[in-house]
Amino acid sequence: MDPAAKARKDEIAAKRAKLAELKRQRELRTQEVDASRQQAAEAAALVAPRPSRADHRKDLDSLISNLVGNRSSSTGPRDSSSPAPGRASRPTSVVSGGENVDPSTPPTQAHPPAVVEQTLSIAPLTIVYEAPADSQPETVTYNRAVQTSEPWEPQRDRSLDSDDDYGLTPSKKTPRASKRLSRRERERDEELRQNIRKEVEEELKAARQLPADDSTAITTAAQESVSARILTDEERNAEESSADYLAFIERSTKVAERELEEKFDVLKDYAVKGLEDAEDEDDGSGTTRGKKGRRVREVAQFFDERWCSKRCVSDIAFSPKFSELILASYTRNSSAPHDPDGIIQVWNMHTHNRPEYTFTSQSDILTAKFSPFHPNYIIGGCYNGQVMVWDTRDRSAARGPVQKTPLTSSGHTHPVYSLDIVGTQNANNIISCSTDGVVCSWSIGMLTQPQEYLELTTPPPAKTEDMAPTCIAFPKSDPTYFLAGTEEGTIYPCHRYDRAGAKAGVDARLSYRGHAAPIMSLDFHPTRGDIDLGDLVLSSSMDWGVRLWKSRPPAANAANSVSGAQSATALIEFVREDVVYDARWSPVKPGVFALVDGGGGVEFWDLNRDVEVPVARAVPSDRGPLKRSLNKVAWEPQEGKRTAVGGLDGVVTVFEVGAELGGLEGVRSEEWTGVKRLVGRLEGAVNGR
Amino acid sequence: MTPSAPDDALALLTRLSQKPGVQSTLVLSRETGAIVRTSGLISTSSRANANGTLPTSDDTSESYGNGRKESGIQSAEDVARSVWTFVEAAGTMIRGLDGEDEAKLLRVRTKKNELVIVPDAKFLLVVIHDTPPA
Repeated sequence: MDPAAKARKDEIAAKRAKLAELKRQRELRTQEVDASRQQAAEAAALVAPRPSRADHRKDLDSLISNLVGNRSSSTGPRDSSSPAPGRASRPTSVVSGGENVDPSTPPTQAHPPAVVEQTLSIAPLTIVYEAPADSQPETVTYNRAVQTSEPWEPQRDRSLDSDDDYGLTPSKKTPRASKRLSRRERERDEELRQNIRKEVEEELKAARQLPADDSTAITTAAQESVSARILTDEERNAEESSADYLAFIERSTKVAERELEEKFDVLKDYAVKGLEDAEDEDDGSGTTRGKKGRRVREVAQFFDERWCSKRCVSDIAFSPKFSELILASYTRNSSAPHDPDGIIQVWNMHTHNRPEYTFTSQSDILTAKFSPFHPNYIIGGCYNGQVMVWDTRDRSAARGPVQKTPLTSSGHTHPVYSLDIVGTQNANNIISCSTDGVVCSWSIGMLTQPQEYLELTTPPPAKTEDMAPTCIAFPKSDPTYFLAGTEEGTIYPCHRYDRAGAKAGVDARLSYRGHAAPIMSLDFHPTRGDIDLGDLVLSSSMDWGVRLWKSRPPAANAANSVSGAQSATALIEFVREDVVYDARWSPVKPGVFALVDGGGGVEFWDLNRDVEVPVARAVPSDRGPLKRSLNKVAWEPQEGKRTAVGGLDGVVTVFEVGAELGGLEGVRSEEWTGVKRLVGRLEGAVNGR
Repeated sequence: MTPSAPDDALALLTRLSQKPGVQSTLVLSRETGAIVRTSGLISTSSRANANGTLPTSDDTSESYGNGRKESGIQSAEDVARSVWTFVEAAGTMIRGLDGEDEAKLLRVRTKKNELVIVPDAKFLLVVIHDTPPA
């Protein structure tokens, strides 16, 4: 700092000396001039007497004041009028006049700049500087920072607001030592201003020209940029084989199809069209039976030529989280040996005939469901004994399972026809059951070996120990206890763990006998109401019937263990005209269940209404010449308004049921007590028999 | 199902264009507006038909070809240009509201039909279809 200050001081001193020198020279010069003037004036006084000239002047002044008005007092007019004819006529009087006007020389020198300023500050400049005023907040802060730290740069100044600029430069710089502002700097400032002016003028000009050129320019630009040309074959091939393109087509067509499927017209004007549309409400597609509340209406059918033909639906499940998603697993297509044997399609209610996802496996998939605890996982059991997990987030092209159990004797070696996911959000297990009687428990994160391994055997009074369970079912309340339906037609209660008086495995003291043919399905009542009906079990069988059972709690068995093996009988049997492949409770109505049979129909029963005949029966609309039997039925778990059925022809059909059979709004507590009363009555009848 | 080959993608497009009510489909490049694929639109260039998702010669699919002629087919280039500029304008509008946002789906209902535009990073899908009867 010190050397710099010293240098500056030196500089200032030098400049002062220079200035003093200049002053002295000027004084000398003015003295000389004065001297010569006096001589000249004395000479001129002889030629022309002064008074006459003064009179002349007065006349002139009055004339001008008449002409111009108020401005007579100002020095300006007098100066401008001073080159009077009288003066011009006498060249010598210029010098003598000079003496007279001498005190007013500073004004005359000050005035020309003022006039120049007036011409400079005409319209264009002021207007221009207000044009970029949008960026004012930026420029203010910017201005100060730059001015204090570093010299200006023309490019930056361009964006400066000129009002600030001109206002600030004097106020900023004059307080400082004016000497610091060297001439060079001033010159540069001037230059900068000139530049700014020029640029601004150019911008203005451009802006003025723009409106004219604008439209044409834009259209030509658009025409140039939007070539709207059609790609050549090579370009197209290159584009279309890119992964981006494929992914885009997959995604965008899905979106577009969903959008097209949306039947509701948001722009509908009910005032105009309301009456005409009202009547086609009733004759909707599908089969409509019975009164309005019990109506069953077909709302969708899912089929895919490529993947579903010649395959059978082996299982159907609704997504617990997204009620519009329906999962269907399929068996192998024997005429297409190169396709994967097992597939799962996830259908969306809003895009018919286009699966959201397709998953594959090397073996037929016999059962599959969404994990209730993680909506992205689909868990399935295969014909070769593997349990597989698919993930809907999997983006690989093959869409194989993300995890699967090994094909070793530590797991299943026989077909897995039944599995369930039990437990809670934080601790859940996959329980799978194969036809050789092996029940395994798996953790979804670790499928390399089962956490529990249990082999079911037929209890003693039987010809063989082997047991062939076809299905298992867990009650909603107890994940350690389940029922297993067998090929011989008996249903056995089983424990996963040793408990008081009973070992893990089949409970030998009790069996539910009645069916004479393999059990096809078991379903515990979903308890969602006032009264606990969770001990009611529905079983369907190849013996053309459905039976309703009241399962005994495991603790009750321990009490009368001394009495030896017991056999419980069904509360009621619903005899049908065909093989019943599946029967499922409604998730919301306590007395309602749906069943599908070999005749290809789906029936809806309501225990509160009738135990002899179904409330409604429907058949999926034909897709082929043959009526095909239906394998599986599933309820939509949230509202219970829709059921999906599927069968041998690979078509998944979704029905919507009326308010008396499903839906949350019409559930009355009488229905629960009604079912309870019916069960009590039936129980009494069974015991009394 | 992820399409693994261009054939699969073409099959998806063909299926879309054969859905009832769909008049035409267009796949454009997002950057340049160049037409990658089109169906149901005539083109001033003769090559357009070769690129169509449907062979126009045997365009007998009843849901597709009937009665479209009198409703006035615009040329594919015109539609592509208009849609592309529209999408750009929409993009500008959206960026103006929120700099990090972008358009995901544009539906434009007109008196005659509806345009469904699915913009993506590199491509645009345009589906022109009849409005639901009402």
